Amino acid sequence: MPDVLVASTRFGELQIADDELLELPSGLLGFETFRRFALLDHDGSGTYYWLQSTDEPDLAFLAVVPWPFFPDYEPEIDDDVEHALELTDAADAQVLCLVTIRAADDDPERTVISANLLGPVVVNLRTRVGAQVVLHDAKWPVRAELVGA
Amino acid sequence: MLVLTRRANQSIVVNGDIVITVLEVRGDQVRLGIKAPRHVTVHREEVHAAIEAENRQAAAAAAAPPLPRPPAAADGD
Repeated sequence: MPDVLVASTRFGELQIADDELLELPSGLLGFETFRRFALLDHDGSGTYYWLQSTDEPDLAFLAVVPWPFFPDYEPEIDDDVEHALELTDAADAQVLCLVTIRAADDDPERTVISANLLGPVVVNLRTRVGAQVVLHDAKWPVRAELVGA
Repeated sequence: MLVLTRRANQSIVVNGDIVITVLEVRGDQVRLGIKAPRHVTVHREEVHAAIEAENRQAAAAAAAPPLPRPPAAADGD
């Protein structure tokens, strides 16, 4: 299958190979009609990724692999979700948490970068199909600040 | 909005395949049971709204500022 070309707003013209494409059949909450994304490693480190919509050049989400920052993170994925994503092998699963960047409430000069641990995006890397899952355990914050080394 | 009044143990059928049952009414809380096909997601509204709002905020990032590096692993392998 030929590469997909996307004239993205943030990254310019992108050529997306098959193995970088993802399908989210239900999109993301609030963005249900956007189902096709490119999964791009932000800086080659395997920590941060971009989900770039291949249908809407201006739509992209920064995401982070949660465990380097939150080693105790244990998202419980329902059987129904595992079934829908055909996740029979845990090694095929990639979990990414969407990152938001905002000014701190108490200090507009300070930028707070946080990850949504309550609504992770779970991807089956083998089938290239994913979904945003809403976890049932309220202990996972929707804004978990990323604190660096 | 369709408004219906139910007692405990009464139900509502949505779309022919989703059943919402009032299990118990105690004080100002209502306990609801929801039976739905596997592909249908069901969540507390405020949780759904919070994730939607956070997604919208996430979509607004035009570019990434310098991003935090993860803390080094404690066991240093």
